[in-house]
Parts: sequence; structure tokens; C-alpha cells
Amino acid sequence: MSPDVHALTGAYALDAVTDLERAEFERHLAACPSCAQEVRELRETAVRLGTAAAAMPPPALKDRVLGDITRVRQLPPEVALVGPVVRGRWALRLTTAAAAVLLVAAAVLGVLLVQARQAADRSEQRAAQIASILEAGDAKVTTGESSRGGTATVLSSRSQGRALVLTDGMPPPDGGKVYQAWLLGDGDPKPAGLLAGERVEVTGLGQAASIGLTEEPAGGSQKPSMHPFVNVVI
Amino acid sequence: MRERVRRVPTAGGAGAGPDADELLQRVARGDEAAFERLYDLLIGPVFGLVRRVVRDPAQSEEVVQEVMVELWRTATRYSPGKGSAMTWAMTLAHRRAVDRVRSAQSATDREDRVARGAAARPFDEVAEQVTMRLEHEQVRRCLSTLTDVQRESIMLAYYGGRTYREVGELLGTPLGTVKTRLRDGLIRLRDCLGVTR
Repeated sequence: MSPDVHALTGAYALDAVTDLERAEFERHLAACPSCAQEVRELRETAVRLGTAAAAMPPPALKDRVLGDITRVRQLPPEVALVGPVVRGRWALRLTTAAAAVLLVAAAVLGVLLVQARQAADRSEQRAAQIASILEAGDAKVTTGESSRGGTATVLSSRSQGRALVLTDGMPPPDGGKVYQAWLLGDGDPKPAGLLAGERVEVTGLGQAASIGLTEEPAGGSQKPSMHPFVNVVI
Repeated sequence: MRERVRRVPTAGGAGAGPDADELLQRVARGDEAAFERLYDLLIGPVFGLVRRVVRDPAQSEEVVQEVMVELWRTATRYSPGKGSAMTWAMTLAHRRAVDRVRSAQSATDREDRVARGAAARPFDEVAEQVTMRLEHEQVRRCLSTLTDVQRESIMLAYYGGRTYREVGELLGTPLGTVKTRLRDGLIRLRDCLGVTR
């Protein structure tokens, strides 16, 4: 690791970096045990700054939180994917390939997060959506060019049956119309939600092969009234 | 200068009952009673930190509520090998607080600040109960061992939620220097506090 990158351990431990810088730095961390150790220590140090600021919230907050958790399902635990038995050339090759994919995904997602942030009011909510899809082991990122200009990027997880469609640089729909997402390639096109601003979260992916976008009258349609102007394979 | 101390217990009430790490592991198994006890242990530090960064009381409470629910949701991903439950929770809290102030910044003034200003109570009105007096004193003493510029940079970044670029802008310092100051300052603080994890 170059000394310059190494110097970022302090800023990183203090969350004084942008999302993109954080994603880049975390890639370095994965390959640099001594940096990771330093970051752990500096983060622990930063936390001491935090605990020194302790203050009590209004008691009513507790009831709200305790109420909330009764309605929130916990994540599944992480389960080891490769057992100790499967070792050897294939395992190594697979691991290397997986690492390469992850590196690319990390970079793309870093950029996505930043774009997401810049593009929306509720960036935090969006970041949480992205994070929750990412938690699936089979999260995938694909992008398609729109014939109207711009691109649509889809972050999807087959196991979660969910996807997040983020558009970038696409002109707004004509007056009184909306952009609608469709699940394609699994029987008839299935309506998959209207774009709010530049994105839409799609659930119930099923066996769909791609997600397409069309322009529809306000409120959306049951059947697409045009050929999708962008079609992203998932 | 170097002051060796026991690691601060992750729980406020030391001795009695399970500590925060153990509670969090029980929470991972869906134990709501354990979550309630964990809440009591963590809420002071979590709220204090978020409050310090976000400042707006109503927004601080929103963020803290999100953080605590997220802690419940992600407890299954915790293992003591990843650090103490306190560090886990505080790292999450700081990240969320910073996200909130930065997204508020980028949505600049699209919200009706006048309306919100009327509802907000000034920071000082809220009774601020320091639950870790000893810890507080120690951190304060160690902070005083930093150079002024190191201390100021760290405070702006951590409590102010600023990026190092913004810190550089605010202090009129080149970026390379800011990065070095943040790192050197934290290292000095680490050694003074005896953090060795």
C-alpha cells in the first residue's frame, strides 16, 4: 500500500471520507492486514471519543424502539460458503474469480452509492436499500443503455427476489406520463412499479430474465403500451 | 504520558449480569429481553454521540431509533471477534449520524427550516447526563496531549461529521496534511488511552 493511501486510516476510522473513498479504502484494507489492524485500533479510539459524549434520550424513545423490533425480522446469520474439505486448484481458482468479481462490484457500488446520494432527497433510505440487497450472497449489478439516453443500473438478488433500479442521465417522462418497470422473460410482462424520481425497488423477481422500462400514462398500466426503451438483464 | 488502563467495561453497570457482548449474541437468537437490557447499556453513549453530531433533537432521536433497530436486525452478523458490542454499535451510530448530516447538507435547504426551527429545542436545554464520568475525564485528559491542530481536526471530523476535505477547507490546510494530522492525532490518542485491540 502506498504511504498516501495508508495515511487515510485516520480519516477512515473517523468516517471523514466520502462513500467512494470508503469503498476504495475498504478494498485496500482487505489486502493489507497491518492497515486493518491499525484501523481497528483507531476505530476503537474514535469510539472512546463517542462514549465520552454519553447523554440520555427521552424515555419514550425506548418504547418506540422496543415496539419497532417486534415488526423487524433479523438478518440470517452468515454461513461459511466453502468448507475446509474443498481445497485445491479449483477452490483456489473459484476464490480468485470471486475476489475479482467482488473488486469490480465494490468499485461499481461505491460509484452507485455516490450517484444515488447525489440524485435523491432520501439518499439514506436508498443506501439502506442497496445495503440490504448487497447482504445477499448472490447480489449482482448489471447496466443497460437506454434508447432515450442515459442508463439504467440494476442491483438484484435472486435469493431475495428483489432488485433496485437506478437510472442515470435519463430525460424525465413526457408531461402527465410516468416511467414504469416491468419484469420480462417469464411469461407475460409483469408490472413492477413506477419510478419515483430516478429509481424503483422491484420485488417478486421470480424467474424473470430482465427488467425493462416503458413510458405509461399516469398511474401506470397493466400491460406495457410500448417496447421497453431500456432492458437490463438480471 | 502512556496511561495503561483496563479496557472500559462495555457495560455501564459492571459486574452484575451479562455484558453487552454476550447480550448482543443473545439478541442474535431473537431474545427480546436481552435486547431491552442491551438497549439500556448502549443508549447513553449512542444517543450522546448522535446528538453531538446531528444536534437537532428530533432528528437525533430518529437516527438513534434507526440505529437501535438496525442493531437488532444485524445482531446475527456480530461476533466478538469483530470487536466489542459497544464498538459495533457506536461505529454504526456514527456512520448513520454522519449520513444524516451529509444528506441534509446535500438536500440543502429544500426543507422548510423555519418550521423545523420552531419545533427544535436548543441543545443545552436537554438534560445531559454523563454516564461515564471517568471515561469522560480520561478522554479529555488525553485529548489535551494532542497538538491544537490535531485536536481541532479530529473534533471537526468526528463530532462535526466533516470529511477530511471539509476539515482542510475549514482550517485552510492542504489535504495531505489533514490526513496526517487525523492519523497522528488518533494514534497519539490511542496510545494515551491504551487501546490495543
